[in-house]
Amino acid sequence: MTVTPQNAKVGDMIPDHKFGPVTRTTLALYAGASGDHNPIHIDLDFAKNAGMPDVFAHGMLSMAQLGRLVSNFAGQDKIRHLDTRFTAITPVGATVDCTGEVTDRREEGGETLLTLKLAAHIDDGTQTLKGEAVIAV
Amino acid sequence: MGIFDRSTQGHVTPPVEVTLERGAIAFFAETIGETDPVHLDVEAAQAAGHPDVLAPATYAVVVGTFAGQKAARQGQPDLLTLINGDLRVLLHGTEAYDYHGPMFAGDTVTVQNEVTGFSDPKGGKLEIAHVTTRITHPERGPIVTATRGIIHRLG
Repeated sequence: MTVTPQNAKVGDMIPDHKFGPVTRTTLALYAGASGDHNPIHIDLDFAKNAGMPDVFAHGMLSMAQLGRLVSNFAGQDKIRHLDTRFTAITPVGATVDCTGEVTDRREEGGETLLTLKLAAHIDDGTQTLKGEAVIAV
Repeated sequence: MGIFDRSTQGHVTPPVEVTLERGAIAFFAETIGETDPVHLDVEAAQAAGHPDVLAPATYAVVVGTFAGQKAARQGQPDLLTLINGDLRVLLHGTEAYDYHGPMFAGDTVTVQNEVTGFSDPKGGKLEIAHVTTRITHPERGPIVTATRGIIHRLG
């Protein structure tokens, strides 16, 4: 049975969400769409001068995928809280795999709230984001 | 010693008004791969009961960035300039949102940043600037409170 906000229990995994592969074009478009023009994500010359082997993805592009994971599950207007820690960089070419596990279900202020433990991993198994969301059912 | 300008601790930036635009929201939504038409198409958004196109969950950071660009055009420093961020060694450490209500295309919201403090983890190999951004609507009140940790790699 598909896990929904209505039937979700502690320990359930919500439907996962994949994004990618992240290309240089993706990063150029994200720079334009988000207004984040930090050249470390789009300018190879700048990245090399800064001691990096290549450009790498905006952390917020991956957090946007956690946002999609949670809004696909609950509806965006039901999200009360979303947070993440960026634990590793996401290289060009990576596919971002987002997962969420229900860790709490409670009644508060007349509504049912679910807490989700969120994660993003890339193809080689590296965890790139570690986060949490609170949604109203 | 770190790079961030520690004298900015406690600084609150002047309020900047940002008007959310349908085309900009759709561009962002398409770029992140969003397919839900409530973020892309005004008729679909209205059919779903929204007054206009709904901003995606992490659009709050974009509104904050647009506010910084507007401040810079008006001759004020944007946030990274204010705290003396160095893009060569800068990493995004943490990002968190508390949502008090949705944002739609057509909304004019007010953005204010507060530099809440600095920390020096890993024996000073990292320094972190802690910033809170408050996005407020004139009638609907607080919309999003965003907190962010911005890292310099020093080691």
